[in-house]
Order: sequence, then C-alpha cells, then structure tokens
Amino acid sequence: MELGNKLEILTEAAKYDASCSSSGSNRKNTGGGIGNSARGGICHSWSDDGRCISLLKILFTNYCIYDCAYCINRSSNDLPRSTFTPQEVAKLTINFYKRNYIEGLFLSSAIHKNPDYTMEQILKTVQLLREKYNYNGYIHLKAIPGADYELIKKAGEYADRMSVNIELPSRSSLNDLAPQKKPEDILRPMKKIGEGVKENKLAKKKYNNAPNFVPGGQSTQLIVGASPETDYQILKLSEGLYNKFNLKRVYYSAFIPIGDDKKLPTVNQPPLVREHRLYQADWLLRFYNFEADELLDENHSNFNVELDPKADWAIHHLEKFPVEINEASYNKLLRVPGIGPKSAGRIYKSRKRNKLSYYDLIKMGIVLKRARYFITCKGKYFAGIPMKKEILKQRLADKSKNWNQLALFSNEEVK
Amino acid sequence: MLYYLYDGSFSGLLTSIYEAFYNEQKPDYIVGKSKYKKSLFAETTKIKTDENKADKVVKAIKNKISKKIYKNIYYVYLSERKNIELDIYYYLKIAFKKGKEIDKDWSDNRVRRIKKISKKVGRERHKYLGLLRFRELEENILYAPFEPDNFLLPIISNHFASRMKNKRWVIHDKKRDMAVIYEENEWMIIDGSELPKINYSEDEIYYQKLWKNFFDNITIKNRINLELQQNYMPKKYQKYLIEK
Repeated sequence: MELGNKLEILTEAAKYDASCSSSGSNRKNTGGGIGNSARGGICHSWSDDGRCISLLKILFTNYCIYDCAYCINRSSNDLPRSTFTPQEVAKLTINFYKRNYIEGLFLSSAIHKNPDYTMEQILKTVQLLREKYNYNGYIHLKAIPGADYELIKKAGEYADRMSVNIELPSRSSLNDLAPQKKPEDILRPMKKIGEGVKENKLAKKKYNNAPNFVPGGQSTQLIVGASPETDYQILKLSEGLYNKFNLKRVYYSAFIPIGDDKKLPTVNQPPLVREHRLYQADWLLRFYNFEADELLDENHSNFNVELDPKADWAIHHLEKFPVEINEASYNKLLRVPGIGPKSAGRIYKSRKRNKLSYYDLIKMGIVLKRARYFITCKGKYFAGIPMKKEILKQRLADKSKNWNQLALFSNEEVK
Repeated sequence: MLYYLYDGSFSGLLTSIYEAFYNEQKPDYIVGKSKYKKSLFAETTKIKTDENKADKVVKAIKNKISKKIYKNIYYVYLSERKNIELDIYYYLKIAFKKGKEIDKDWSDNRVRRIKKISKKVGRERHKYLGLLRFRELEENILYAPFEPDNFLLPIISNHFASRMKNKRWVIHDKKRDMAVIYEENEWMIIDGSELPKINYSEDEIYYQKLWKNFFDNITIKNRINLELQQNYMPKKYQKYLIEK
C-alpha cells in the first residue's frame, strides 16, 4: 500500500485521541542531530475542528484483536486497515519535523497480534528515531495495556511523555463495553510509570547524567457520555489519578457515536458542553486548589451546563463573598470567578505598594466581567446589583459560542 | 523641536539614548534617518552610531535594571512602530530610577505601552515558531518565507539554529526582503536580493501532499469549528501555510 493511503487510514484511526500537547519536556539537541523540545510546547497548526496540531498523531496499526464497543478500530468494525513499518514512521516524522510542520510524534496503536508484539513495534520505532536518525524532538508514546512492563519501561527511556488510556470512568463500564480489556492491565502500568517518573526526578537531582524516563510526565484519557457515570464520579476519578498516580493530565473526550452497538447510548451529538465543563473543573483541581468534593456531591452530581463550575460554586457559596481585593489571601482571590493564577498573582504583588482601586484593576488588565460581582475595592462594591443567587445566575450564564457550536452540527454530519 | 536622527540600527538607537542621557538638550523626537521627513521648525542632531556607547547602555540596563527590561526594549525596537524610540527613552529613564519593579507598574500609560508592544512582539514570535513552514530546495536547503508584522528575524533564528543544527536553512522575511541564512552553527542576516533562485527538491511536493493529507484527516468531522480555528490562526498567518 502507498504511504499516502496508509497515512490517511492511520490518521483517521488516531484522531479521537484528545492529547496533542508537546509541553513539559526540555530535551536538548545533542550530537549534532535534529530537534529539541521546548518546555512550553508549540502549536504548529489548527485543524478545521479548532484543535491544535502539535504532533504527528498516528496509529502504528489499526488492526485490532479487541472489540471495544466505543472504539472506531474495534475488530468487528468494517473499515480499511493498515500497518506502518518503523522505518516509515521514522521517515515521516523526520520529514515533517524538518519542515516545521510538527513539534514531534504521538504514536499510538491498536492491539495487533498481542500486546507484547504491539509494544515491541512501538519500541522499535522510537529506537530507530532516537538512535539512527539522531532525533531529539518530542515523542509521546502509548503504553499498551497488558504488555510486558520491561518493554514499556524501555520505551519510556526514549519518550518524552507516555500515556495509558483509562478509556471509561469505572470498572463496570469497562467490563460492559470493553470486556476483553482488564482494568488491572490499564492501572498497573499507569501506577508503575507514575512511580518511575517520580524516581527519575529524584535520581536527576542526585546525578546529572541520570537517564531520562518520561520527563514530560504521564497522561490518560477517558470517554465522557458513553457510560452512565456522573460528572462527580468522573472528577473524583481524575482527582485520584492526579494525587495517587502522579499524572500530569487527564483528557476528556466527548463520546462520538461511531457504531450502533446496543450497549451504547443513542446520542445525536457529542456532549461537547459537558466535556468543556469537565475540563474547566479539571483546571480548578490542578491550578486553583479546589477539591472534587467542593464542586460536586452525591446530590448535586452533574455540572450546570449554563454556568462554568467556578461561577456555579461561587453562587452557591455567596456567604464567602464579596472579598476585599486589598486584603483577601492569594487562595481566596483565586476563588473569585474570573480571577486566575495570573491575575491573583498580579493583584497580590501590586497591592503591596498601594491599595488598589477598581480603576487600578482595569488598568492592570484584570478581567472584571465576572469578578466584579464578587469583589470590593477599598470597601466599595462596584457591580451595582444586589448579591442574590438568581440575579447573579442570570448575569453569569454562559451565552457563548458553545450553544451555537452545537447548532452548527447538522444531523447528517453526526451520523 | 529637536530631532535626533540615527541610522535605524539598534546600536544607533542605544547611542541616541546614551546621548540623550548625557546631553543637556534633550530630544523631542528620536527618528531613524530614512523615516525622517524635513520640517520647517525642526532642529536636527545627527547621531553617529558608536558601538562603545551602545555597549555601555546595554550593560547598564542589564546590570542595573534587569535582563528582562533589556529584552522588552529590544522587542519594542523590533516592532518598528512610528515614534516608538522616544517611548523607549522615557521608559528607560523611569526604569533607571525605579529598577526592575517597573515591570510590575501598570499605572503609567507610556510604561504600559512598552510592555504591551513587547508582549505583542513576543506573541508573534511564538506564533511563527509553530507556523513557519520550510520547503526543501535542491541541495537540501530548507527555505521558509513569511511576512511578519514585526521584524522577527533576529529573535526567531536561535530557536531554529539549535533545533536544526545539522541542516542548512533560510528564513525569508518577504515584507522587508531580508533573510537569515544558517549553516554550521552560524546564522547571519542578508538582503533578500542575495538569495539564490528557489527550486524545490524532488521530494518536496510529495511531502507537502502527505502533510495536507494528514491535516485533512485529523479533523473530527462532528466537531467542525472554523471560527475557533480562525481565532487561533488568523488569515494573515495563512499565506505561506502548506495546509491552507
């Protein structure tokens, strides 16, 4: 098969993976080779769905022995199949990279023959790239569930980031929809990689020349809306993954109906707003010191579609507001809707010199569209409306593109 | 009205700033020679670029204020905006008084303007780190044309020099007709007219097709959102993209 056809098939097969981040690693270009990686990550293009393209995201093969209901590459799905060779992937990567199309490679795979065989192919490809082509650009690899950990570990020494997809937010859903995959096969490598990353960080502090192991950290992905879990359950899971498995990122991917398996829910549109809300909440966990239990609980177990999770939290905790901008602690500032780590940091630093007025905040570039309902400046409240739940709810409701975006999908497109 | 006329180079600007600090007659304008239009009431002083004086200014900024402030004024200089020189001078005057704290000062309009422009230049630089597209020419030379708003060549080249150490490449600013050429760990800026003719290598079109193929197939059709795409990648960046 021609390389162009293979690329088409194996790109199509890989595109539902959400991650395309190229950040977190700081690899140097050594030995006069090609490539390095920038800690901040670089986007190289944006596809028609508005997602950043940073990496050459492909599957090694889409031949699969598994038949997971939610997956486009499941064995019972009738679609063109193909397999790259390590050589082909390496050549594509180098040629795209030197033209500055991409920041690196994201290589994933369906399970061909068996997990070990698949992991071996992935390992061969990165070895080729790093050793023969002297390639020092970014590489994100999938660890194949069920593969021998020695293979995964070896691959981790070449990669910048690794991920094992947890796929579904609970054991029972995984049993239902992906009966051939064992939850243990997913969790075990995740745990080990997490430990490996931690150990490696320590080793590097001690010895300058300690070898790399997944310096960009570990990520995972789960599908939202294919199974009955609530947002609360999902967020608790993510929280656990961050805290216990030392994960860098959890990606959420709105379920897109790609099969007619009876076990799957019938939806016309992928639940994009829900996915968006989960990402917002995920940010609150990682950068705003929120805990999952503060945002949701058993009784209030799904996010409000009209309000972002932080605004939703705020209007349910009006007793904590308004906060005085010149006195509130950094953590309290962070909890004001519309104020993020950057703004909170700015306020915190600037107010040391002189007390800040509302006008000062504007000049500092603090976005007050939401924040003004929740703050006072030198004791004055500027929003001009009473702090009542219902009124604030109306003011803060998300009337943005998300709703239009949904309307853009015609039914043909979805099917 | 006193005009300082300098040669347009960064060293020239720094020399002008040196003179402005030490001369009794302070300038009302600092203007590049080529941009200056004769006016009846203008008094002019020609500033001769002096690397020594320029160097003193650089060292003073870096040591007495901070490297970040130096980066700010360099980026702002590269923005090539009209009459920006006097703002840079004013900014430095305050910076020498206040020290690096000036970076946290949001209250002075002219200080804020410098900061804003510096950020803008930095942002455009970052965009082009991703959106620059090289074409492979004969003899394996890589060639990337672009038309940036700001003069980015001096601040974009190190990135590619460390990334593509073992290659030969050219980045061509078509708007100013200037180019960076790189070979064996060294790069320099030349006039666009000195560039050889552009002839693609044998493989070039093949890989362009593969890239377009990838670009089209990575889109999730149920999630098309052209508005979002355009927000990230406004039209002005698209002219030399292979995939658009």
